[in-house]
This record gives sequence, C-alpha cells and structure tokens, in this order.
Amino acid sequence: MPVRVGLLLGSVAAVGWVDFLTGFEVSVSFLYLLPIALGTRVAGRSVGNLVALVSAGAWRGADLLAGHTYGYWLIPLWDTLMFASTLLVVVALLASLREANEGLEQTVSRRTQSLQAENAQRRRAEEDLRQALGDVRKAQAELRRTQFQLIEAAKMESAARLAAGIAHEVKNPLMTLSLGMDYFLNRPPENADEAQLTQDMKEAVHRASDVINVLLDYARPRPLERTSEDIHNIIEQSLTLVRHPLSRQHVTVVREFDPMVSPVWLDRTRIEHVFVNLFLNAMQAMPPGGTLTVRTLPSEPGGGDNDAPAGVIVEVDDTGHGIMPANLSRVFEPFFTTKPPGQGSGLGLAIAHKIMEIHGGSIRLSNRNEGGARATLQFNTEPKDRS
Amino acid sequence: MNPKRILVVEDEPGVTRSLKLTLESGGGYVVLGENDAPNTLNAARTFRPDLILLDVIMPRLDGGDVAARLRADPLLRDTPIVFLTALVSSEETDGHEKSKGAETFLAKPADLVELKKTLEEHLRG
Repeated sequence: MPVRVGLLLGSVAAVGWVDFLTGFEVSVSFLYLLPIALGTRVAGRSVGNLVALVSAGAWRGADLLAGHTYGYWLIPLWDTLMFASTLLVVVALLASLREANEGLEQTVSRRTQSLQAENAQRRRAEEDLRQALGDVRKAQAELRRTQFQLIEAAKMESAARLAAGIAHEVKNPLMTLSLGMDYFLNRPPENADEAQLTQDMKEAVHRASDVINVLLDYARPRPLERTSEDIHNIIEQSLTLVRHPLSRQHVTVVREFDPMVSPVWLDRTRIEHVFVNLFLNAMQAMPPGGTLTVRTLPSEPGGGDNDAPAGVIVEVDDTGHGIMPANLSRVFEPFFTTKPPGQGSGLGLAIAHKIMEIHGGSIRLSNRNEGGARATLQFNTEPKDRS
Repeated sequence: MNPKRILVVEDEPGVTRSLKLTLESGGGYVVLGENDAPNTLNAARTFRPDLILLDVIMPRLDGGDVAARLRADPLLRDTPIVFLTALVSSEETDGHEKSKGAETFLAKPADLVELKKTLEEHLRG
C-alpha cells in the first residue's frame, strides 16, 4: 500500500511539474484527475481523498512557483478550495461507484454460493429419490414374486388335495377290476375273443391307473435326489427307454454332443422322465421317418444375473409340423393338449416344466426356422458352496 | 402245506371280495375280509392271520392307527403288515411294492402277480 501511495503522489508531482512548466491552466489541470481516479479505483476513498488534496496543493504550488500574481490574496485561496472541492467530489463519485461495484460483486458471489448449495442439495435429493425409487421397484418385484409363489403354492395344495381324492376314489374300483380280470385270466377262456377281451380290459385298467399316477406326480412332486451327472449318459439312457417306439416310426436320432460340457447337478430319474417325454412328443409330432436331433452345449455363466452358475444347454429338435404360434404360450399349462382324446393326459409338458423349475433350470419350446419344433433346456452345474 | 391265512382290512367290499376270490382260487391262501377298521383287532385275534393286508385310507380309522393297535397286541405284534395305498404314484413305487422305513407299501391297483410276489416275500420272512 505505501508503495502504491508513493507512486500516486509521485505522479501528482509529475503533473504539477508539467503544470508549472506549461502554465496551461485548464488543460493541464485535468491531468490531476488521472492519479486521483487511479488511486480511488485501486486503493479506495481515503487514498483518493489524499491524492486529491495533494493534487490541489501541487496545482496551487505550480501556480505560485510560476510567479502568478493576484489583485487580492483571497482569490488564489478561493481557487484552491474550489479546485480541491471539485477533485473531492470526483473522488466521492468514483468511490461510490467502486463501493457499489464491490457490493454488487459480493451479492453476486453470495447468491452464486447459495445457488450452488441449493443445486448440490437438489442433486442429493434427486439421488436419494432415485435410490428410494429403486428400492420401491425392488420391493415391488419381490412382492410380485412372493405373491406368485403363494398363488402357486395354494394352487398346488388344492391340486394335491384333488389328486389324492381322485386317486382314492378311482384306484379302489380299479383294484377290484384288476383283480377281477386276473381271476378271469386264470380260468380257461371259452374262446379266443373272451381271452382277448379280458386282456384288453386289464390294459384299460393299467392305462386308467397310469393317468392317476401322472396326476399324483404332478400334484405332489417328491423331493429331489440330486447327484452330479454326465448329461450325455442321461440322454443316452432316455433314448434307450424310447428306442422301440422310435424305431417303429423309423425316426433317425442325431447326436450333436459337446464333450467339454460340465457335469450337471440333478435328480437323474426325474430328468430322464423329462427327456422321455420330450422324445415321445417329438416322435408324435413327426411323420414316420423324421429326424430327432439332441444337442448339448455349454451355457454362458450369468445370463444377465452374475450370480447364476454356468451350466449346460440341451436342445431337442424335431422335423415335425412345429407348434401353432397361438399354442406356444400354453404348452406348459396342465391339461393342455393338442393330441386326440385318449392319447395324452395334457400333463407331460406341465410335469417336465415343473421338474425343470424345481431343479432351478428352465425349459422353453420354440419353432425352428428350418421347420419343426425345438425344446431348449437349461441345467445348472453342481453349486460350489455345497457341503 | 397249510394254506397261508391273509386278513384283508379294507373299507371297499369290492376289493376284499376280489382279493378273496383271486387269492383263494389259485390255492395256497385263506382270506378273511374285514371292511370295518375298528373291528380289526377282534378279527385278527380270532382269525390269527399269517399276514395282514391293510388299506391306508379308511373312513373310521386309518391304516396307521390300525397298525399301531396291532403292534401293541402281544399276540399280533409280529404279524407282517403290507399296506395297500392309492396315494403313491407309479414313480414312487416303480409300480411295485416298496418298503418305506419299516413298512411295506403296495400301490393300488395291484395285479395278482405283483400281489402274490409281495405276499410270498413277507410270508417267507
């Protein structure tokens, strides 16, 4: 600050010197405004006043040194006072402008800070809101899942009750019929037709009993007995179980196995049940001489859910007539069938779906571009944390 | 060889009659049918069966309760019991009898071959 004041006063002295040398009263006097304006602008009102007073002194000093004379001693004093007052008014105006500017800057800065704080608060609130919305969505999904499970459980409970009631009411008379047929079969028949008729009746009893068993299996699935298995062994075993019907229909079986797929974690008997069902369905969907392709491939871990284990995909393709698009969403519904009456319970795919579901896997059916249908099954590998 | 004595406890008279007819017609068995479960103990004490075929679901007393009463009787506690049930599926029994714990279950509708096989196994033991 003292350096600045020194410089200002120096410039006042310089102007005074020019004033003295030139003696141009008015024109040069305006030059005093420069250090005054500079001082007021840079250092404020007090320094401006000081520079103004010194300038007035310098102005009068230059005048005296130049030897100007006045008729009356009061005149130079009066001039000096007028000049000093004019300079001080200029200082006052400039200082007010400076202070107003400073005030404005402070106000702008204060408001900017407050706006920034408000913005930060709004951003935080937005973030909280977004988080809360995510939580609500998650809770909603969880609720929907639980609701679905409850409905499913209630449906299964009534299905199990219904199945038990039907089994009890139907199997007792079937037992009487079955033993009655055995009684007649053990006696010498009167003719060949009678023997055939008795045998047919016996088979009819078996078929009726099988339908009830399928219903019981669907309504009350027993707990899984899981082991780590090679999926190819299970496929081969299931193909063996259906080799007679397949060969009667001249079905060609194509195996496209990936030998590198991991062992899968499943209940062997129940998965064989699923494959047998799919193979027979495929066979029934094809005219004689069709091709049944069974393909295995590794499934990518994750699949959208990073915790999902890696597994194995099995595809079962047929060269049949495919599935009507309208039926695609209904094929897993219990008792939905497109087969003629008496040829299917409508529970086969429903049971397959349930078995895959309780394994934590999945099954879906689609139509292939080349024609025919494809069943895609997803199996999981043995969980790492199993103890 | 003396014929084996089989007591059939089953609420459905058609089942008891057909069991009696088929088992006795082949020889080797004498069958008594009891359609009223609470009367099983009396019937068994009088008849002294070598084996009891016992239905699981009956209206007045179920097969489990009847079996508990038989096991509590000093005269009958060692008589083998084979349960007849409509409530097991083919998958659970593979269509044949299956021991579940200490008990033997035979899925309805059982045919004669299957039935005789089960009876012979338990009568031998």
